[in-house]
Order: sequence, then structure tokens, then C-alpha cells
Amino acid sequence: MKYLALLTGPEDIGQSRLFWAVFVLLVVNFLAGPLWMSEFEASNVSYYLLNLPMALGLCLLWGYCGVLSFGQVAYFGIAGYLYGIIAGNMRGDPWGPLLGEVGGLAACAVVSAIFGYFMFYARVQRWIVPILTLVLALLLETFLGQTAGYQWRVGSVQLGGYNGMTGIPWFQLGDLTFFGYSFYYYVVLVVLVSYLGCRALVNSHHGKVMLAMREDPLRTELLGYDIRARQLAVFVIAGVLAGLSGLLYVQWGNYITPSQLGLVQAALPVIWVAVGGRSKLLAVAISAYALNWITYSLSSAGNQYALVIIGGLLVAVMLFFPDGIVVTLARNMNRQALARLFRRG
Amino acid sequence: MEEFSLVISVAYQFGTNAAFLLLCALGLIVILGMMNIINLAHGELMMMGAYTASLSYQAGLPFPLCVAVSFLVVGFVGAVFERLVVRRFYGRELSALVVTWGISLLLSQGTLMVFGPFLPSIPIPGGSLDVGAYSLSVYWLILIAVSIAVVVALAWLYNRTTFGLHARATMQDAAMARALGVNTGRIYMLTFSLGAGLAGFSGALLAPTASIMPFMGQQFVAPAFITVVVGGAANVIAGAVGSSVLLSLVRTPVGFYLGAFLGLVALLLAALIIIRLMPNGVSAALQRWSDRRAQSH
Repeated sequence: MKYLALLTGPEDIGQSRLFWAVFVLLVVNFLAGPLWMSEFEASNVSYYLLNLPMALGLCLLWGYCGVLSFGQVAYFGIAGYLYGIIAGNMRGDPWGPLLGEVGGLAACAVVSAIFGYFMFYARVQRWIVPILTLVLALLLETFLGQTAGYQWRVGSVQLGGYNGMTGIPWFQLGDLTFFGYSFYYYVVLVVLVSYLGCRALVNSHHGKVMLAMREDPLRTELLGYDIRARQLAVFVIAGVLAGLSGLLYVQWGNYITPSQLGLVQAALPVIWVAVGGRSKLLAVAISAYALNWITYSLSSAGNQYALVIIGGLLVAVMLFFPDGIVVTLARNMNRQALARLFRRG
Repeated sequence: MEEFSLVISVAYQFGTNAAFLLLCALGLIVILGMMNIINLAHGELMMMGAYTASLSYQAGLPFPLCVAVSFLVVGFVGAVFERLVVRRFYGRELSALVVTWGISLLLSQGTLMVFGPFLPSIPIPGGSLDVGAYSLSVYWLILIAVSIAVVVALAWLYNRTTFGLHARATMQDAAMARALGVNTGRIYMLTFSLGAGLAGFSGALLAPTASIMPFMGQQFVAPAFITVVVGGAANVIAGAVGSSVLLSLVRTPVGFYLGAFLGLVALLLAALIIIRLMPNGVSAALQRWSDRRAQSH
């Protein structure tokens, strides 16, 4: 019961029974997807879903904790490349991919912990964190871009410069290899667990402290909480979640290029979170899914306006829906429901 | 003679690095010092400066005039952005970062659609100068001189003009400055326009050294951001000069022995260590040091 309260707590959209009924229906709908989707469609839906952990991590960091990062794609790339290196070198070993996952996520945790230590323990001003994280992503992109050629290989895996790393193995657990429908189920499961985990986190005691830090760091500190350690913890969680998206991405497409860590890609998580509404996890999940679907359709139709549309959307949302489109809609729906109640009473 | 030319060469390397960082960061740091926001569209404003310079160079203007035109055009664009968008985000620094990023995406992709993937580049003015076994580019020597001149001009602007007085008052305490009759809204607009104009100016000056493409701004943003983070916002000129000198002390030897990319990595590592020691940047540390000296006298 206590754990259920964590899920239904007040810090995200949807507490009513009706909401949870709809939520369960939605999950069932995703699980039943392969009944009416072709493998190709299922693979597309996996792609829209696989960016959700990165978006949720940024939502925790920016919306709930008040710390903005522009460099989440750095962890996406670190995990993706490291998975490629480890799993690629252990090709044939049934547990290689799992080791690759563990290695990739551990590297994300270590890099974000070191980077976060220097920033949060220095108590830098708020604008420094997004700037430095962006610089980290840009430097990694530059580094990986110049790794073309035979001398840039780790074991038997070539880093591949701007063409990227190709032939990255599928995810595999023992004899079970995940591709097609099984990969789809694996993505749905990972995304569902990340969402519910984040939701439980924000409704926990630590979540309340996160909100307090966002509202007033000084007061939170005077109440006896070590805000440096707590900000660092959320930063690491967000980094690991971004790494999770990176793992799913390379397992989905079997390749990764340095442009996945570039300036344009780095803008995308920020846009998903801003458009949905950074203060609510579910809003971010919805907008990340929808925007991934839109940009994927636009760019596979060869549309050169995709970036302009995305940039324009970001400016328009910041100007006219500063709380995000989904959050604003949800609030208006709540208000209408309240008004109806009052009229009856 | 051999040692002499080596010293000259090292000083030249150091000077070009410092001038490059200073030119990249000046526009950003002017805006940061006043409004405490980072303009993420800075790289794209530099790109616009390079585009304006290239277009007016093709139209037959002499290069120095092209640079002046870039300063004015991009400064005007900056004023328009401030009026239309940035103005609404004062006091919400994180949102301001995000909205200027949206503008930067619009600008770079819009440029690609309007002007295509590249413009004709500008030939590097001036030849080279031989000192012993080393050869120095005259244009980079000019850039070093220009960046010193810009710093002097900014120091004059901030310390000797009415605008500078009002600007410093607004930086210290905007509410109090408003109460004393300073039109802070106008100061904000002019400062943003000045910062944008400086970005355009630097973009035009660096245009001959780069290829002129819609996404060329990206190569300037990483060094510019690091310089600004290390410089801090307490004092525009002390921050810009202190941080670019300090960082080129790091970058010159690393870049010389280990290559340009590791020079950039060294910048990032140096920035992390410097902010751990001086969280508000070099400018705040310099400010504290000079305050203490003033007190002891």
C-alpha cells in the first residue's frame, strides 16, 4: 500500500481511478500492439519510445530539481559507444550484450558523478551547468568525429569517425536475442519501468526535497539538507537514464554516429521537456513520444524544414505556453472538471 | 637569434589563442554581465556576421568596411530579438537559455534554406612575416591588435560615457537605478544589441579564417562558453581579459605539443578546476582582490 501511494502521489498528472484505468488500457494497448502492427511499425514505435528515459531524466533534473542540462546526449553517446565496444568485442558470448549494458550505464554514472562534483560542490550559478554540459557533449562529438581510420579501434571494434560505429550487436540475454517484436516488448518494459520509477521517486521524501531545492535552495539547505549531494544524485540519475536511451538506440538501429551527440540532437531533449511541460513527468512522456513521431515522419519524408519547425515550436512554446502545452491542457481540464462539480453543488 | 625567434613564436601562439577566445566571448560576456543570461544564439550571430561580411565583400566593399557593416547589421538584429523575445525572459535565466537556443536553431536552418550550404570565402588579408624559422600571419597580428583595441574601447564605453555609467548602475542594482531615473529597459536593449553587434563583428573578423557555412557558429561556441564560464559576470572587462589570458596559458602549450583537439579538452578541464576554486569566475576573484587592496590602503 505504501508503494502504491508513491505511484499515486500528487507530484505528477493523474491521481484518479479514471486516470489509472486509462493508463492501464494504454499499457495493454502497447502490449497488444504486435497483434495489429507489422514488425516495421513496431520498430518505428520502439524508436518513438526509446527516447523517453532521456526525456524523463531531464524532466527530473530541470522540472523537479531546477537544474538544467543541455548535454544529456553526451551520456546517450557514452552508453551507446561503450555498449558497441564491449558487446562488439564479446561477439558470440551470450552474455556480452548484458555486460555492455552494465558497462555503458556505469560509465554514464561515473562521468556524470565526476562532472557533477565539480559543478555542484563549487555551488556554481544556475546558468553554468547547462553551458558546461553542452560543452562536454560538443567535445565528445568533435573527438568521435576524428576517430576515422584503422588506428582508432578498441579490440576488434572500429570507432569509425563521422560515419560512426556500425554492426553493433542486438541485445541478448543468454539464448534470447531481442529484435523485431521481442525488442519492441523489451523497449516497452524498460520505458514503463523508468516512468513508474521516476514517478515513485518524485513522490518519495527525496522528491519533496527536490521540489524544495527548485523553489529555494538556501532555505532547503538551512533545513538541514545537503543540497550539493542531492543535486549530484539527481544529476547522476538523469545521466544514467540518458544512457539507457542511448543503449536502446544502438540496440534498435545497430549503429551510432557522432552527430547523435551534436548541437542539434542536444536541443531535442530540451524541446521535448519544454513542449510537454517540465513540471510533470507524464506531460514530458507524452510530448517526447509525439515529437519523436512527428520528427521521424518529417525527416523520413526528407523534409528539410524539420529543424525550423522544431526551433520555431520551441520559441513559440516558451513565449506562449511557458508551462508547456500538455501541462496547460491538463490544468484547464482539471479546472473545467472542478467548475462542473461546483455547479452541481 | 634562435632563442629570440622562438620567444616571438611562442608569444605569437599565445596572442592568437587569447585573441581568438576574447573575440569569441566578448559579445556573450557583455550580455551575461548585464542580464545574467547566456545567449545560446551567439554562434549563429557570429555566423550572421560572417555572412554579412562575405556578401558585402562580394558587393565590392573593402574588408574593414565589411566588418563595420556586420557590426551594425547584427547589432540591429540583436535589438529586434531583444524587443520581440528576450525581453520577456528577464529574471528567468534558464528559460532565457532555452528560448535563445530555439532562435539559434531557426537561424542556422533558416540560413541554410535561404543561402544554401556555403558562401564564397573571403581571402585572408595581409601576407606572412618571417621571424627566424617561424612564419607569422600578418592578419592574426592585426586581430591581436584589434582585440586589444576593442577591450580599450569597451573600457572607455563603460567608464567614461553616460551609457556606461547607467549600464554599471543597472548591473549593480536595477531597481535602484530605475528609481533614480535610468531607463533600464533601454539599457537592456542597447546592451543586448551591443553584445550581438560584437558577435557579428567577431564573426566577420574570423570569417577569412573559416569556411562560411550555416553551421559555422558551432565551432566558436565551445571556446566562447568556456571563456565566459571562467570569466564570470562580476566585471565584463576583467572577466573577458582575465579568462582569455588564463585559458590561453593552458591552451597554448597543450595545443602546441598534443594538438588542437586536446587543447580544447584542456580548456574544459581547466574550466572545471577553475570554477571549483573560483565559483563566480576570474572576474569576481579579481574584484575581491582589488576591493581588499583598496580597503587596506
